[in-house]
Amino acid sequence: MLKYVLRRLIMLVGIVFIISVGSFYLIHLLPGDPATVILGTGASPANRAILYKQLGLNKPIIEQYFVWIGNVLHGNLGTSFISQTSVASTIRAAYPIDLELIFLSQVLAFAAAIPLAMRSARKPNGLLDRLLSAGSFTLLSIPPFIIIVLLVLIVSIKLGVANTGPSSFVSFTSNWRVNLTSLALPSITLATASFVLYFRVLRSDMIATLQEEFITMARSKGLSQRRIMWRHAFRPSSVALLGTAGVNIGGLLAGGFVVQYLLGIPGLGYTLISAIASSDYLLVQGIVLVVSVGVVLINFFFDFLTSLVDPRISRE
Amino acid sequence: MSERLLEVTDLRTTFRTVTGSVPAVGGVSFDLKANETLGIVGESGSGKTVLARTIMGLQPRTNVEVTGSVLLNGHQVVGASERTMRTMWATEVAMVFQDPMTSLNPVMRIGRQIDETLRVRLGMDRRAAHDRALELLTMVGIPSAQSRYRAYPTELSGGMRQRVVIATALACSPKLLIADEPTTGLDVTIQAQILNLLDSLKQQLSMSVILITHDLGVVATRASRIIVMYAGRIVEMGDTRDIFYHHRMPYTRALLESSPKVTNTPHTRLAVIPGRPPNLSTPHPGCPFAPRCAYATERCHVEAPTLVAASAPGHRFACWNPLTETDHPEAR
Repeated sequence: MLKYVLRRLIMLVGIVFIISVGSFYLIHLLPGDPATVILGTGASPANRAILYKQLGLNKPIIEQYFVWIGNVLHGNLGTSFISQTSVASTIRAAYPIDLELIFLSQVLAFAAAIPLAMRSARKPNGLLDRLLSAGSFTLLSIPPFIIIVLLVLIVSIKLGVANTGPSSFVSFTSNWRVNLTSLALPSITLATASFVLYFRVLRSDMIATLQEEFITMARSKGLSQRRIMWRHAFRPSSVALLGTAGVNIGGLLAGGFVVQYLLGIPGLGYTLISAIASSDYLLVQGIVLVVSVGVVLINFFFDFLTSLVDPRISRE
Repeated sequence: MSERLLEVTDLRTTFRTVTGSVPAVGGVSFDLKANETLGIVGESGSGKTVLARTIMGLQPRTNVEVTGSVLLNGHQVVGASERTMRTMWATEVAMVFQDPMTSLNPVMRIGRQIDETLRVRLGMDRRAAHDRALELLTMVGIPSAQSRYRAYPTELSGGMRQRVVIATALACSPKLLIADEPTTGLDVTIQAQILNLLDSLKQQLSMSVILITHDLGVVATRASRIIVMYAGRIVEMGDTRDIFYHHRMPYTRALLESSPKVTNTPHTRLAVIPGRPPNLSTPHPGCPFAPRCAYATERCHVEAPTLVAASAPGHRFACWNPLTETDHPEAR
């Protein structure tokens, strides 16, 4: 087990290194002089000189990378020349919102998907199973930007529930009630897609697990249906679910932009889109780096959870 | 005469499939006394496993029709609800499954799998169940039970796993143990160990055992009576000696001849039964073995034989052209 985790950690360091090279090189991939890319074409020679000094742009590229990564490791992602604020502090202000959104949406998705999938799997092709399968297909086919617009239209505008509309965001610590009401609709929106995914994965794995001989053996021990479902069938069925959740949550971190942008929630996604719009490449670079590392960490965490759930994985 | 623990009367298990109904067990009657070991022998697909699961009431409820009667210690199993069966499983009847690789939960420590039966069915507390589980593991011959208690099934060999399955089945001291090909998935050297273990536990715990196998050698010294099944029906039944030395049904002989003997000279060609077991979904009016039988006559193909009594008490066979009682070259 320890060996397995250590091996994964070494891999993790390798992947993070590759990501850092990628994000560093992002600036150099864009056409033209990096200073022009960062400052824009109308920059004064004085500003260009400052930037050259700050990034070491006249040094060889490998040396530039080490200067840059050294700064990054000290928490210094540079200072945006567009907004004159430090990239790190902008990201620090934005990322808790992403984490909260992901947390809320995933709690909702799991809370709905797990019990419903377990029920469905008990009688495959039964009434409940067919209803849920049809319903989840319908949900799957509606894109999130339609769901959020519909939700805002119905809940905020038609029903007139306050604070659920766009641009009403306050942080959890300053006013948690307003915070939760303003995050309710985007959380539900993000939860629907996750719910469909989790429901379908767990349902099919549960159906397969319930055919296993060890389930028959559990029955022959005189255990209750409930105990068989939760103690015997759920754990071996949840391996694929955890893998899916890892990828999906990583995807939400990197791709929850649309909902944030539509509702004016100033998370990383919103900030990234604004940064691209204003050609703030240092900020783009910083967010790309943070989000990529976040995705890798989330996947690492879920791999670890999977190996806890199924002891066969870490043994090989 | 000891009391009858199990009475099976005209038991039929029919699977409804998209291509028609399949009579996997087609009218089986037998009984079993307390402390008796009964062997059920037949090829793959002869209905042994379905019969065992039907006797236990473990058959899935959908698309299966069960008729007849199974009286287990006075309780009717046929038609009983899962809730009723739950009160009988583990305490009245338990099963040792065929493949210990798949019958243990791969993500649950083996100790827990024994524990939970004790706690759920006998109401033991955590401590008592833990101690009893250790006793059971020791009883089935698992060395250093204390450390094995926390092992996952994948950390044990096949033989060890089958011992765990046996320990689980015996946890609540069932009156009847059904062992469904308990050694098929194991190495030959382990097979004898497991069978001897079952034998000695049977004596120790005074229970009845139904030993299901495709290998007559397995039941030869262990069962007092043997049932030979073919195509879901009993084709011959009787005391073990009668089955081995005075069998009347050609199929029984074919089974005996197809297992290798120590006395064979090297490179002796093993007798095989030509053809394959019948497809049960297409009804056949005659004896199901007739297409493969060397003794088959016109009558065998059109009229199914019923079980008739042979000379020895309790020995019955279903055949129109039975072997004569003296026609047994391998009788020793």
